[in-house]
Amino acid sequence: MTYIIYIIVQIMIMLLLAPLINGIIKKIKAFTQKRTGPPILQMYYDLFKLIRKNSVVSEASSWIYKAAPYIVFSTSLTAALLVPVTIKLVPSFNISGDFVIFVSILALGRFFMMAAGLDTGSTFGGMGSSREAMISSLAEPSILVCLFTAGLIAGSTSLDQMMMFMQAKGQGIILMNPAIILLFLALLTIIIMETARIPIDDPSTHLELTMVHEAMILEYSGRHLALMEYGAAIKQLIFITLLVNLLLPHDQFIGAAGLGGILISLLIYFLKVIVITVVIALIEINTVKLRLFSIPNLAALSFILSFLAFLQYFLLGGGYVQLI
Amino acid sequence: MSSLFDILSVMILLSSFVLMANKRIKSYIKTFRIQSLLIAIVAGILGIQLIINEGRVDVLIVCIIIVLLKVIYIPNLLRRTYLGVEHRVEKDFIWNIPILVLICCGLVVFIYFSITAIEGISEDISTIQLVNSVSVVLIGLFFMISRKKAIGLIIGFLELENGIFVTAMFATDGMPFIVDLGIFIDMLTAVMIMGVMVFRISDKFDTINIDELNKLKG
Amino acid sequence: MGILQFDNYIQLCILLFFIGSIIALGLNKKARLCNYVSNGISIIATALLAFASIMQIMGGKDVIKLSLLKSTLPFIRLEMTIDGLSAIFLLILSLLTICVSTYSIGYISSYYGKRNVGLFYFLYMSFILSMIFVFTSSNAVFFYIVWEGMALLSYFLVIYESERSENRQAGTLYIVMTHIGTAFLLIGIMISYSYTNSFDLFGSSDAIPAGAKNVIFIMYLLGFGTKAGAIPLHIWLPYAHPAAPSNVSALMSGIMIKTAVYGLIRFVMGFLGLQEAWWGILIIIIGIVSAVLGVAYAMMETDIKRILAYSSVENMGIILLGLGVSFTALAYGNLLVGQLALIASILHTLNHALFKGGLFLGAGSVHYATGTKDIEKLGGLIKKMPISALLVLCFSLAVSSIVPFNGFIGEWLTMQSIFASVAHGKHGINILLILGVAALGLAGALAAACFVRFFGISFLGIERSEHALKAEEVPRSMNIAMGILALICLSIGIFPLVAIKLIDRASYGLLGSSILDQIQGGFLVSWYSMEFTSNRISSFEILAVLVVIILLSLLALRVLGGKYIERRYGTWDCGFEALNSRMQYTATGFSKPIRIIFRILFRPSRKRSTKGGTAYYPETIEYTVDSESVFEKYIYKPVFVRARIWSRRTKFTVQTGNIHNYLTYIFITVIVLMAYNSFI
Repeated sequence: MTYIIYIIVQIMIMLLLAPLINGIIKKIKAFTQKRTGPPILQMYYDLFKLIRKNSVVSEASSWIYKAAPYIVFSTSLTAALLVPVTIKLVPSFNISGDFVIFVSILALGRFFMMAAGLDTGSTFGGMGSSREAMISSLAEPSILVCLFTAGLIAGSTSLDQMMMFMQAKGQGIILMNPAIILLFLALLTIIIMETARIPIDDPSTHLELTMVHEAMILEYSGRHLALMEYGAAIKQLIFITLLVNLLLPHDQFIGAAGLGGILISLLIYFLKVIVITVVIALIEINTVKLRLFSIPNLAALSFILSFLAFLQYFLLGGGYVQLI
Repeated sequence: MSSLFDILSVMILLSSFVLMANKRIKSYIKTFRIQSLLIAIVAGILGIQLIINEGRVDVLIVCIIIVLLKVIYIPNLLRRTYLGVEHRVEKDFIWNIPILVLICCGLVVFIYFSITAIEGISEDISTIQLVNSVSVVLIGLFFMISRKKAIGLIIGFLELENGIFVTAMFATDGMPFIVDLGIFIDMLTAVMIMGVMVFRISDKFDTINIDELNKLKG
Repeated sequence: MGILQFDNYIQLCILLFFIGSIIALGLNKKARLCNYVSNGISIIATALLAFASIMQIMGGKDVIKLSLLKSTLPFIRLEMTIDGLSAIFLLILSLLTICVSTYSIGYISSYYGKRNVGLFYFLYMSFILSMIFVFTSSNAVFFYIVWEGMALLSYFLVIYESERSENRQAGTLYIVMTHIGTAFLLIGIMISYSYTNSFDLFGSSDAIPAGAKNVIFIMYLLGFGTKAGAIPLHIWLPYAHPAAPSNVSALMSGIMIKTAVYGLIRFVMGFLGLQEAWWGILIIIIGIVSAVLGVAYAMMETDIKRILAYSSVENMGIILLGLGVSFTALAYGNLLVGQLALIASILHTLNHALFKGGLFLGAGSVHYATGTKDIEKLGGLIKKMPISALLVLCFSLAVSSIVPFNGFIGEWLTMQSIFASVAHGKHGINILLILGVAALGLAGALAAACFVRFFGISFLGIERSEHALKAEEVPRSMNIAMGILALICLSIGIFPLVAIKLIDRASYGLLGSSILDQIQGGFLVSWYSMEFTSNRISSFEILAVLVVIILLSLLALRVLGGKYIERRYGTWDCGFEALNSRMQYTATGFSKPIRIIFRILFRPSRKRSTKGGTAYYPETIEYTVDSESVFEKYIYKPVFVRARIWSRRTKFTVQTGNIHNYLTYIFITVIVLMAYNSFI
């Protein structure tokens, strides 16, 4: 029973919160540019509008093209199940996955997205897929090393176990540990690389010189486009959730469980997500888009951050680190 | 308190990686300023600790000197030099940046092995701080090797000096005051002379690529 | 011995292959009959073999000994011993061979009247037979003989289509490289004989001093490394695999290069014993390098089978990584991690045999249907051959270690063994192992990119040439064979514990321990989840959730958005209105970002030449992109050049062309050897 409740809460929060993140980022960007900007709920309206529109499908495409949006969307939601929004709700027998399968599920979605880019025979799609292939292969080692190190610290590869360990040991501010600081920075860089945010990809343009994610889904329309956009937004929220719940745990501050505890926990989670969203927006405002072939510099930096985190963890004596 | 120093040492190491991954002279100077600020914070905390515990004031004075010299004066001097020469972005490295950064990573691993192999390091000194600060020294040296422009060399030299200073601080709770002072004066002179040299090289060869200096030999 | 004794099945299988190969040779005039009979025999024989090996694994911990051939020399016993390790490799061999033989029924039909089908099946069956012997021989000399036989038979299969000069060149390179490897193997065997006075592989190696063991290990590593295609000894692999007919390359890549894994486990772990940690470390380093570079080179190729061949190098790298972790952990006395890593590496061997076999068969289907292996000339095949496309998609997902398929399970276990190894290990290795994690990540992501490219360019989009336009679905037997393989891939992916349990039992004889109590979940309830020291996954649940979410989202879209109305229209062309197949992204274009980033590996060069017109509007533009194979140019070529210069210099003093001189050389050698024997 708890398992079902967990799944429902998890999916509902992801579905409801994900488009808001994009709205907030857009609003902050508009604010710094002295514009009013779209309403904060604009993405919800867009998705709803797209769902009711007819789809235009390319004559050259096959079933891969039509299957891809569903697979991308559902892999995002499935991956979301592995990243609990609050530890208070995690069922006693844990969900069946760890970070390796987490990465692999997202890879399934990405595989179909890239294939769909090639399916229509359009140059844009191929270009987007090709660039996405490059960026994802640069980001993947950092993600694995980063989560591997976090897993070593916690002594488990399951994401929920890792989160529980972090909050059990981190009685104070968990960030007061060199390895954790480096992991935090690494994960922040990874979020930017994985979610097509500005130094890597510009989600707001359709210029063939710069677009990556948008190029892959250029042919899509109607409900397929809605699913693709929704899937991307959920993926972004998953990574933010991973960051805030793994490295900034909060549930240790809330004493008793129960419905009130869960609600407070969710509220704090919501606030943390907003803070990280603002940080991402600020990064986006303050940087320019990198040249495509400068992306390896950023990827190398994020890899180095994860690797140094691993080294610092060993410098502290290996074993399961005693956090403060 | 030791964990605070751990974190600061990691931040200092990180700043040297950021320096390595940069290619704009302006960001070099900015990153160097931040690195020096971090070192000043280390010195400040240590200084206050020493005043409370032992009544020594010399480390705090050193801290103030660092703030004046490395956080304010030298970066400004370099900025002026930078504005004076026609050179904004470093273009030709020996290898491309990801490889340089990965080599630096290898340096840290190497130093980790060599430091843990040394016997007789006192138990009080944290390995993490020692490894991180010695790494800054070697990364600074490697930075000098990897850059071909004179300003890059100066920054590398300063980073190296930062590394030595912070190593000394972590290992010995601050060197004798007179040694610190001597180093600062040396460094100041060196930077001023090199700043002047950059102008001279720039005038002479219309570039500050130090490969041009090869021509000076007999 | 009763008829139901399963060791009889193995004898029967060997006999069937032996008879079958002779029948095939006899029927070489009747191609169609020969095709059916030979494949029928090999399917029956390998089914027997599969049954026998499963029985051996499940049945008992005692070893089957067979002596089919009698030898008059006392120390060279041509005896076959089948323990758990042999049985699991025989199982891999038989699973793949059943499918490949089914496939061959359709595939070889294109050879009727053009080539000698009888000769092909003679070689094919003898090749399988030689591999059975390799996996079962218990004597080092016997092993050496059948190993050599396997190399020669596969050489003949590589040059089977010998009218094309590149196939002959590929064959020559293959035979040279494999003989260099075999020479090292022979040196290793001889050194160990000089200490133990025995060729028995199951004997004791206590008599060998530690220093000599190190030398022997290096010899074995070089010998087996060449067969495994480990970088930098891999150069024959991307030439030999594409040259052979596709069903043979499936066997070569699926199982023949795995004999090296078997050899390393049998000779090093089983016979020598693991006393030095650096053995494992060396293998880990080779594994990391092979995994990353293999897939990076695969990304650059445009020949389907060369892509797959390089991808084999990558997967051998992952297998070697697991094996290295296992060797290191065992050398440090950590039995649990050692066994987990060993299971991971054998499981990945099984997985790779299945999906790479399937991919090579898929490549064969594409070649069969279109007549070309160049992916730049394909495209849009998914509409022409939907079933083959679906199956190739399954294998592509498996090779990219994506979730519901078996490739992921192997990677997960490898990752878990690295995790456990780091948590208990020493510092120096841990830093290497974290690089292993990064390498797994990079290789996995690059493999996904590479197989999106492979699948997307050849099966999706618009047809790029006449070859693709005329394609049709291949004969049913070919798709059935691939379908079986895909089904096994999927079922191992969803129910991994069945395979893990088999391998765990198989490796029991080697290490004398079982990790099954560490991996929870029973035999039949294994769909529930798989857990190793509280890290658990369940692909089944993930798959179920995925399907449910897809169904729910379909429902939600129907409710919220109304009926799905679709309009078919041309691909958006910016109003250009003349979009054609040549404007699609090409395979070379697809891999360009990666080529530029990793230019240190590929050393790409491009050449652009224009003709006619003005500088801005030329009439024709020729643009070529080239990437060098770094290893051939910087390691092998200097050696060859040096060797050629040296041999040219010695040509007139040693190689005179006079036959009497040569006879004198032989005479002197024999005299010297005999003198050595009698005086020392």
